[in-house]
Amino acid sequence: MIEQKTYHETVLEAAKEVFETMIFMEIEPSQETPFFQDADLLMGSITFKGDLEGCMVISMTWPCARIIARNMLALEPEADITDEETCDAIGEVSNMVMGSIKSRLQDTYSSIEVSIPSVITGKNLTGPNIEGAERICVPVSIDEDQSAVFSLLYRMRKG
Amino acid sequence: MAKTLMIVDDSATMRKIIMRTVRMSGLEFDSTEEAGNGAEALEKLKAGPVDIVLCDINMPEMSGTEMVKQARQLPNCKETKIIMVSTESSQDLINSVMADGANGYITKPFTPEKFQEKLSPFMS
Repeated sequence: MIEQKTYHETVLEAAKEVFETMIFMEIEPSQETPFFQDADLLMGSITFKGDLEGCMVISMTWPCARIIARNMLALEPEADITDEETCDAIGEVSNMVMGSIKSRLQDTYSSIEVSIPSVITGKNLTGPNIEGAERICVPVSIDEDQSAVFSLLYRMRKG
Repeated sequence: MAKTLMIVDDSATMRKIIMRTVRMSGLEFDSTEEAGNGAEALEKLKAGPVDIVLCDINMPEMSGTEMVKQARQLPNCKETKIIMVSTESSQDLINSVMADGANGYITKPFTPEKFQEKLSPFMS
């Protein structure tokens, strides 16, 4: 059994790897969870099952998501980008971060299967609730002036 | 010698990122085309041969692993080099898809250097 602190570090390391390699942005852990109440949000999520089952979620505001998507696509800061392109980019971020988490956990949990990512939008999004799952939240700052929250819900497979 | 490339991924964003990373790697192709899943890729491969295919694994409609199996049955895909590009990194899966006919494997996240390393042996 891996301790919660280790899951926290695993999520942060995975997110850093993806942001530095594919998005060309730096992320740092933040002491405070961003205040997203009543803001229009995007939530990218991806579920997993196997020895360990649960869900990994990324939450951020639309302006933050558009900055990430433009960086991923190597667009200028003011370039037009559609909502569809932005959602697709955040889905891919979810996919890559979860892939990196899985890779880091596979010595302990070798049979994790990952779903195709999905993205939902709206205000006051609460994310999935999985009965009996532990939840860790990793708030981060992105290039110092943006923020996002990575959440990991997980539980051991029953039986 | 001119080379042709096909990028297969259900995410349009990821197809663009792969294309950009290929360009950053310094590799040049005469033409490139895209497909959004394994079934669409197979239809395009039936229509004409492609030198190199970069293919995701987890896709709706038809996965990359199934696409590789079926592509190897096509007469005009015998010489096509298929490189899988996926977040999946388990050695069992890599061994399985290589046994099914893939020629290489790149894990996401990736770098231009990784594309250079994996693709350049097939460029001569």
